[in-house]
Amino acid sequence: MTLSASDLAIDLKTQALANARRHGSDGDALTDLEAASFPERKTERWKYTSLKALADGHLNAVANGEISQPLPALSEFVVTINNGQLQGSSLPAGVNLHHDAPVVNGLQTPFAAYNGAVCGQPVVLEVAANTRIEQPIHLQIQSASEAPAHCNPRVIVKLNAGAEATVIEHYHAEGQALTNAVTALITADNATLTHYRLQGEQANTLHIGTLIIDQQGVSKVDSYQLMTGNRLRRNDVRALVNKSGAELNMKGIFVVRDKSHVDNQLCVEHAVPNCQSDQNFRGLAGESGKAVFNGRIHIHPFASGTNAELSNKNLLLNPGAEINTKPELEIYNDDVKCAHGTTVGQLDAGQQFYLQSRGIPAAEAKRMLSLGFVNELLMALPDAAVTEWAQPWLEAELTHASPAGDAA
Amino acid sequence: MLEIRDLHATVADKPILKGLNLTIKPGEVHAIMGPNGSGKSTLANVLAGRDNYAITGGEALFEGKSLAELEPEERAQAGLFLAFQYPVEIPGVSNMEFLKAALESVRTAQGKEEWDSVTLLRQARAACKQVNLDASFLKRGVNEGFSGGEKKRNEIMQMLLMEPKLALLDETDSGLDIDALQTVAKGVNSLRSPERGIVLVTHYQRLLDYIVPDFVHVLSNGQIIKSGGKELALELEKKGYGWLTGEEESA
Repeated sequence: MTLSASDLAIDLKTQALANARRHGSDGDALTDLEAASFPERKTERWKYTSLKALADGHLNAVANGEISQPLPALSEFVVTINNGQLQGSSLPAGVNLHHDAPVVNGLQTPFAAYNGAVCGQPVVLEVAANTRIEQPIHLQIQSASEAPAHCNPRVIVKLNAGAEATVIEHYHAEGQALTNAVTALITADNATLTHYRLQGEQANTLHIGTLIIDQQGVSKVDSYQLMTGNRLRRNDVRALVNKSGAELNMKGIFVVRDKSHVDNQLCVEHAVPNCQSDQNFRGLAGESGKAVFNGRIHIHPFASGTNAELSNKNLLLNPGAEINTKPELEIYNDDVKCAHGTTVGQLDAGQQFYLQSRGIPAAEAKRMLSLGFVNELLMALPDAAVTEWAQPWLEAELTHASPAGDAA
Repeated sequence: MLEIRDLHATVADKPILKGLNLTIKPGEVHAIMGPNGSGKSTLANVLAGRDNYAITGGEALFEGKSLAELEPEERAQAGLFLAFQYPVEIPGVSNMEFLKAALESVRTAQGKEEWDSVTLLRQARAACKQVNLDASFLKRGVNEGFSGGEKKRNEIMQMLLMEPKLALLDETDSGLDIDALQTVAKGVNSLRSPERGIVLVTHYQRLLDYIVPDFVHVLSNGQIIKSGGKELALELEKKGYGWLTGEEESA
């Protein structure tokens, strides 16, 4: 028996509310969830992402599997969250881990509301004012479950005035786990944050994540978002550029092969004058892979002097693959600079012939060109430890013949 | 080593080569000249196996094997090299990475000793030096942002490393100033050997002052209409092609 999308939406909400009440949730968190409506087939923002995988019952159970292939540490400083629970941490002086979470602004999706209602212990990493943390902080967010089940990690990174840090938000999941994550990056005046979001969960896992970038102060945030597809990956990224002079750069790569799926919904909110934002993403889809990129720039009436850019270039490796990309500009002020461009193309036949004419076999030529397509962004990553991890990961994904991914 | 008999070929279904005959023996340098649109570049691209360039009649045998049955990479592995008229830019793939993949494939196929990365780098640097390319070009994307002359020198640099049995140079002289032309010619001449065949496709005789051919052929309307020694090129330079083709040359 298959459920219709609207029946499924009702089921999900019923289950989510029951879980929240059992969890003892009350107050705003419960009210938010009660007010939320889960997407149906006609919900515009979920047009390309079906939730029917969730009919397997992920919300009925809590993930508590053993992580069999934990992530390697990419830094001396690590915070590990397994199945939504803080497992351990080693942090430098100047970074305080606590659970007294501030209100996260800008959350919109029902899944974020659900996370808020049931997440027991949010992890807050607070970087002290005027402190520069040299080494990256590696946030390992892992989940595992053989049967369909879910977990709700919630992380808030807060940089106080004048703080400077690098945070690697790194997801790993096994089996049929659904990771329903909420992450918020909050920056005060003169803060500088370098953020990575690495999402390489196994093929049968699901990830529904919300990332909020809340630039409360005149700050600079560079966010690098690299991901491969899985059974369902949905990223709602919302940036609130909220103080004049703030600067935001988001760069990303997504790769979908076989039957995997990625849906990126980005939105940059320019609410105040004279801020700068840039979104630059590259996508690759092969086999029956399906990717969605929706890049929204919303410039509010008072946000004069805004400089906002958006670029998304995509490569289809074969005819069965699908990429839906759309820039969405909503501009209510005339005194702004706004540039956008999205393309979907195929491997260049001339480049391919050039490589083959030098003796490079067709499949290898394809691989080199695909990797070349993402290399520009990959090479621009400021932290060598991340590049060293990410390059063989994406290379294996593009090579495809070796899904194990131990190419060095 | 190359035996072309009554070759007919089309480009995107349009007939361009119409019964071309040509034999190249090891050690020989042949120049193929001819007016615009005569089929010179088509010949080079057909031999290298470019998509959309189809052999529709006759045959082209390379060391006894029919080229039509080989993929472009198999032709290269067999020892064929095409220096492109318009080398393509490949951002994101470094020249060095490209050379490594190419040489690994070709040297393995030819049973030559594999080069480790130190040897490869040394050889590549030496080849760069030979064509006056700074070694920093090895780190850049393949032809990415190279000037026209740098691209052509990059082709010759690759050719030096690949050590092909038969080199086809498609208008390698076009767009080169006199210094670059001499550099390129020196590179090509250094590869002249009794085992190697070289085919120069060119519009002008200027290149042939520096790389002196054993044979010169005139291609017109898809066929070779006249063959001779190096003096034929000089005659063409003086008289143009009209006296052979019976038409005014359209430039």
